Amino acid sequence: MSETVVEADGLGAAYGGPPALSGVSFSLKPGQTLCVLGPNGGGKTTLFRVLAGDLEAQTGTARVDGRPAHLPQAERPRLDFPVSAFDVALMGSLAHGRWWLPPRGHERAAARRALKRVGLEASEHDRFGSLSGGQRQRVLLARALVQDARVLLLDEPLAGVDPASAERITALFAELRAEGRAVLVSTHDVDSARGFDRVLCLNRRQVAFGAPAETLGSDVLEATYGAEIVMLDDGRRAVTVQHHAPGEFHPPAAGRAAPGAPPDHR
Amino acid sequence: MRSFCIGKRLSRTILNYAPPLAAAPPSPLELVDLAFTRSALAELVLLAVAGGLLSGWIVLRRLAFFTHAAGTATFPGLVVAEAAGASPRLAALAVAGGYAGAVGHRPRRTGEGGDTTVALLLVVALAAGVVLAGDVFSSGAGVDSLLFGTLIGVEGGDLVVSSVVAALAVAATVLLGPVWAAAGFDPEAAQAAGVPVRRADLCLLALIAATVVAALPAVGALLVTSLLVVPAAAARLLCDRLSPLLAGAVAFALVQGVAGLYLALWLDVPPGPAVAAVGGLVFAAVACVHRPGRAA
Amino acid sequence: MIDFLDALLDPLRSGLGRRALGEVALLGALGGGLSFWVTSYRLSYAAESLAHGLLPGAVVAALVGVPVAAGAGAGVLLAALLVAAAARDERIGVEAATAVAVSGLLGLGALLALAPASPQRLEELLFGDPLSVTGADLALAGAAVVAAGAALTALHRPLAAVAFDREGARAAGLQPALVSAALLALVALSLAVAVRGLGNLLALAVLVGPAVAVRGHVRTPAGAVIGGAVVAVVAGLAGVALSFALSVATGASVALALCAAAVAGASLPALRPQRPRARPAAPAG
Repeated sequence: MSETVVEADGLGAAYGGPPALSGVSFSLKPGQTLCVLGPNGGGKTTLFRVLAGDLEAQTGTARVDGRPAHLPQAERPRLDFPVSAFDVALMGSLAHGRWWLPPRGHERAAARRALKRVGLEASEHDRFGSLSGGQRQRVLLARALVQDARVLLLDEPLAGVDPASAERITALFAELRAEGRAVLVSTHDVDSARGFDRVLCLNRRQVAFGAPAETLGSDVLEATYGAEIVMLDDGRRAVTVQHHAPGEFHPPAAGRAAPGAPPDHR
Repeated sequence: MRSFCIGKRLSRTILNYAPPLAAAPPSPLELVDLAFTRSALAELVLLAVAGGLLSGWIVLRRLAFFTHAAGTATFPGLVVAEAAGASPRLAALAVAGGYAGAVGHRPRRTGEGGDTTVALLLVVALAAGVVLAGDVFSSGAGVDSLLFGTLIGVEGGDLVVSSVVAALAVAATVLLGPVWAAAGFDPEAAQAAGVPVRRADLCLLALIAATVVAALPAVGALLVTSLLVVPAAAARLLCDRLSPLLAGAVAFALVQGVAGLYLALWLDVPPGPAVAAVGGLVFAAVACVHRPGRAA
Repeated sequence: MIDFLDALLDPLRSGLGRRALGEVALLGALGGGLSFWVTSYRLSYAAESLAHGLLPGAVVAALVGVPVAAGAGAGVLLAALLVAAAARDERIGVEAATAVAVSGLLGLGALLALAPASPQRLEELLFGDPLSVTGADLALAGAAVVAAGAALTALHRPLAAVAFDREGARAAGLQPALVSAALLALVALSLAVAVRGLGNLLALAVLVGPAVAVRGHVRTPAGAVIGGAVVAVVAGLAGVALSFALSVATGASVALALCAAAVAGASLPALRPQRPRARPAAPAG
């Protein structure tokens, strides 16, 4: 049995008030990808912060092998800071210690390679703040790659990203998987979860964990998202809809077009 | 060997200070006996009322930095007025009022950019004031008295100004207090409810500017916060509701003003530093005594 | 006109003037180099408050006869502790708590300095007096520049990473709290040195002005640090020269020169234009 690189057992955390997260137990082996699903405020970011070491666990335990690379959710990095895309990617090498020395040749080469992998070698010397949202997300991903971590925590890496960049990033997940790293990705896109090895559903507490095929049933999705989930195309697609009286029609909440979906279809 | 030398120097310094302290402290009655101390006392009492009331709003509405900046910014204006023979009060009012208007008509300074700009402007104000006072006008304007206040020279005009400001502070607190409180708690909701938030806030800023100008002769341009922030900060540690807070702030301001004046007489120093030092002590004493609380 | 230009060279003609130039140059290198980080870490208000609050320490040092820089350093430490203590209660807020600590300390310092028993040196401490700088002061400033230079070089990459993205830096293994603490210590060091040349009221000019001057004209943090130091030194030397030529207070002249450099730098269009902005792609539906 190969060792696990990420393990949580009864994990719970809070921001000084009621728990934002509780009862989370799962494990991941190297080369496995995990999709974390849940509504806003459901605890996805909290989980990542605990795993990254930003936030102390209140209950239970969490263990991550080595230092994980953490891609933050919001646009936290400063846009007016005078750094180029290359400089940002290079920041990942600080994880290898020796921060008091200037970056060495092989670290610079690694940064260049990482930018190439995310498709940004042409924008190497552009100022970070002048790049588009999707490009910035890719540069931060490059930084995570340079860190060369065994575990990557990517908090909504596809939010607000143009389709071309999104495809690039998704392809990267498969590459990282092949390299034997563990990749944890949080997202709102229920359908994309089916492409992952495991899925974890959170709604301030753990709802389910397991392989997507077995786990992503309508009852699990309902418990996670708290609304009716409509399964379409023989269960291959899922849409969240709101409750409404029979005879009325309201557009689906997830933003995916599903016109004419009857309200009480299960 | 070195510590022995420092020890010797330290004891010599203390001996230098001992005589004023060891000399019999002046009788408190002196505060009302001598004409100039009577004026100074009246001035500080009036300023305590105005400053104490406003300090409550300044602390609640997070305007401490604005108050400090408004006070500091008047310094070059005072120097120019004194050298040109114009009224320092009017010059100070122009500067403080102008600054209040600028702040009132802009959205709240956003983060570091605003902080940096105001900080640099204050440096320019102080440096320009020094240059003008020392060299261009050679007026002997007494930079110390402009920065830290002065006991002597409190004239009738100053008392009139302070009375007017104190009366305005009381009236405004009664009339606009509820609006100021609502605007501080939830400005959008208040505005949506039709409350004249913008105009009321402009009045607040203008009143703070006027009080700062009134306090300048007594405590000086650098120490206006000693009467306009510290009293309510101390009171806030003890009171959670508005009326007790304002009353407490006025009470603390009175204590600071009177005790500071007494200290200034005894040690023969300007009143501003004495009031400020007493204020710091009062706050520290209250802080040690109360139970630490969370934000209301 | 010739007389004026000739007067600008006056500082070089006397030992007093040369020492003033040396002190201001060292102070400029130290403060100017730090100023990019002071603004990046949003420390303007904190630095101003610490500068004002250190007065009692400087006054006591001047009275007792030890180097003012030592007293100023202790004063900064005391001010930092008091601000932190006053700000502990959330009901007051950091702004008001800082005002309480600063007004108390400023008042105490002025009290000690203006008491009749004290030699009247308050204005020098408030506004600086580069003309009375001794060899010992210069040696101290030189040592501070060397120490701070070494520290800034070693800490360069962590300072940039934490300023850019605090949590990301923490995830990469750095400790942002320690980095911030190291920066504050360097700020304290520069304030201790700055009291001689600029005085505690004007010291902020060298800690903030140079960053404003170079902003938009530099492309990397290293450029901003070095550029800030260069601008500060040049502006400082110009300030000393002008003060001699115009017979005005030296400390205040240096401060005004630094602020003028800030205004000039902020007003000029970027010296090295950035690449054109990539138009942001529309977000996914």
